[in-house]
Amino acid sequence: MQWRLIKTEPGASMREVDDIYNEEAGKSFLTAKLEDLVAWGRANSIWPFNFGLSCCYVEMATALTSRHDLSRFGAEVIRATPRQADLIVISGTVFRKMAPVLQHLYEQLLEPRWVISMGACANSGGMFDVYSVVQGADKFLPVDVYVPGCPPRPEAFMQGLTLLQEAVKNTPRPLSWVLGDDGSVSKYSVSQRDMHTPERMRATALAEPTTVGDAPLSDSLLGKKRT
Amino acid sequence: MPAVAQQTRAGGGESAAHRDTHIAEDLATHFGPECITQECVDGIRTVWVPKKHVRQVIRYLKNDAPARFELMFDLSAIDERARQNRDGQPASEFTVFYHLMSLSSDDDVRIKVALADGESVDSIESIYPVANWYEREAFDMFGIGFDGHPNLCRILTPPLWEGHPLRKEHPARATEMDPFKMTPAFQKAQQDALRFVPEDWGMSLSAKHTDFMFLNLGPNHPSVHGVFRIALQLDGEVIVEAVPDIGYHHRAQEKMAERQSWHTYIPYTDRVDYLGGVMNNLPYVMNVEKMAGIEVPERAQVIRVMLAEFFRVSSHLVFYGTFAQDVGQMSPVLYMFADRERLFSIVEAITGGRMHPSWYRIGGVTQDLPDGWDKMVLDFCDYMPARLDHYEKMAMRNKILQRRTKGIGAYNTAEGLDWGITGPSLRATGHDWDLRKNRPYSMYDQFEFDIPTAEAGDCYARCEVRVEEIRQSLRIIRQCAENMPPGPIKSDHRLTTPPRKERTMQDIETLIHHFLNVSWGPVIRPGESSTTIEATKGWNSYFSVSDGGTMAYRTRVRTPSFPALQQIPLISRGFMVADLIAIIASIDFVMADVDR
Repeated sequence: MQWRLIKTEPGASMREVDDIYNEEAGKSFLTAKLEDLVAWGRANSIWPFNFGLSCCYVEMATALTSRHDLSRFGAEVIRATPRQADLIVISGTVFRKMAPVLQHLYEQLLEPRWVISMGACANSGGMFDVYSVVQGADKFLPVDVYVPGCPPRPEAFMQGLTLLQEAVKNTPRPLSWVLGDDGSVSKYSVSQRDMHTPERMRATALAEPTTVGDAPLSDSLLGKKRT
Repeated sequence: MPAVAQQTRAGGGESAAHRDTHIAEDLATHFGPECITQECVDGIRTVWVPKKHVRQVIRYLKNDAPARFELMFDLSAIDERARQNRDGQPASEFTVFYHLMSLSSDDDVRIKVALADGESVDSIESIYPVANWYEREAFDMFGIGFDGHPNLCRILTPPLWEGHPLRKEHPARATEMDPFKMTPAFQKAQQDALRFVPEDWGMSLSAKHTDFMFLNLGPNHPSVHGVFRIALQLDGEVIVEAVPDIGYHHRAQEKMAERQSWHTYIPYTDRVDYLGGVMNNLPYVMNVEKMAGIEVPERAQVIRVMLAEFFRVSSHLVFYGTFAQDVGQMSPVLYMFADRERLFSIVEAITGGRMHPSWYRIGGVTQDLPDGWDKMVLDFCDYMPARLDHYEKMAMRNKILQRRTKGIGAYNTAEGLDWGITGPSLRATGHDWDLRKNRPYSMYDQFEFDIPTAEAGDCYARCEVRVEEIRQSLRIIRQCAENMPPGPIKSDHRLTTPPRKERTMQDIETLIHHFLNVSWGPVIRPGESSTTIEATKGWNSYFSVSDGGTMAYRTRVRTPSFPALQQIPLISRGFMVADLIAIIASIDFVMADVDR
């Protein structure tokens, strides 16, 4: 084996090599902080707990089926046990009789864990201001995202999920286990309504309710033409 | 394919021949002159009987009366203490009422018993086993005791609940009560109270050769379709006894009806059977219309039928898919939810909503059909049958599905009636009673359709009947689309709410009329009435008492899923745990329809 020493001169030829190196490296490597990578991974593999309370659960389940296909967001692996899940969707009315059970299930979820409150009942009790209903899941659970509607459309639930993913992605969180509060603070506290109201107020022409308009049940949806 | 009853009966409606028999006189001759008759708006003979005779009267009506009342359709109570208009009725603080039905002679009777506060009445659980849960519910809601009941404990409210919610002094709103706080002590106390104690249910912990295992299934379990709990006594994997536990989904629909106006209660009905959508509006608005004396225009009735049948299809599709999924098939539910989406795009185009359109109104429907609706509807009617053929191959003819469901959870017609089973689940035992044919309402007598039945009465038969019902519903929907009558979509009766648009904003009178009807709500004259329809899961009935106000004095919601869950132990003993999942899947219930 032969060795020789050369004097490194940052000349034109070396710069050429650097450029090639940087270009190749850009294709093959990703540099990031570990926290960010873990957060990115968490955001894109949220495993929801298979838990439903009322009507909203049917719309949540609809989001998992073909037309809406929740797996596009990496969140279709619904788990039947809370010990394998990190998201609980409070999809429906929080009943007084169910609340202690719900608290128990929440405590069994893996940390870090998130809560989506889906629908008017879970958000605030909704139209059921009545003795058997807790007036909102946030009376005893820390809710991350509120999805409005009675019940919300599957699309609304999906929007709620993507908002949660954004929050998870952008929330710094310690890598190791910590006792008690991990000090993470979600960056999403802005109401979507407040954000979008100015734009929505600009609408002047609303569709008439007297026509099916742009018929959603088009021939292509049915897969064939009517003769 | 299930057998189809071809003969079309004469539409007897509520005036069948047997109505001529005078039950009141009959009861008076047998049980003395204290039996008093009450006139109700719905025409159902209502007889007050003395407390001491209740059990004999009920037994007589079931076993010995000229018309045998096989079905105890409903049992509940009325807190009469605040009621003003009770002309001709015996003094009573709490009235227990029993609604019995005779399918063999197409008849109804309502028995009422007057009680003072704190008094109890004899249990009829030994005569009609279905009464067990209904009596527990009446105890839970009103604090009425039932002597001789085997286990009179709370059923809908949590075990540690204080008070009886349907008593007038119990607060209605959560915001009238102390704020809810989840402390560890509270949680522990509640969870401990929910713990299943086999001895409380008369179960032994072991037998001669085995120690029993007790398995708690629910209230959160992927196969129990909502928040339903069932405690199992197991010998190995075989079910010895099962104890269903409900109340985790109690939304206080009946208490709610006492504070919403007749009009603003409509959205609450949607959420009773939350897969049934506007189907739930139908018995409620029909009942109010009966009390108000409103005639609904033909077009509104046909629109109602069309949308109700759409929701029957939608509900049955969800049932079909989840049924197949629960016995191990992954894909059918995805196909069926895709079709449900297609169906919902029609519902959405017409009503603007998906699951809970709340679209029917007292006296008609909200809006007229939009332009182009008929093409969408007919497209769907053309499209769907081929899909059903496909699912027939994929699911119903699948050998695994068949082996997991045939011969499992079977009961016969008599057992079904004893346990209050109605609708498709009863027709799966070969009994072809369908309210749409036998007591046609909302112009159902104008449509051609068959009543599918099956013979076996098992899980497979229950699915078979519902699959065929989808086809029959599509037939009805097509007839609606092809023969939609012209005309108004709302009655011009003064209690129609809201009034027809052209009758508002003409002058100060029409303005005031509109304003009062939608703000205070229509005033319904005093009276009592019930209306029953063939809903998606069986017979759904609303019984309302009006005290002459803008709100119901009492509304009773009788749902088909409640008795169906009570029957589970009967049909699951001796089967394996996996069979129980098939049985639960085949019942077709939603917890909102059970606990209300």
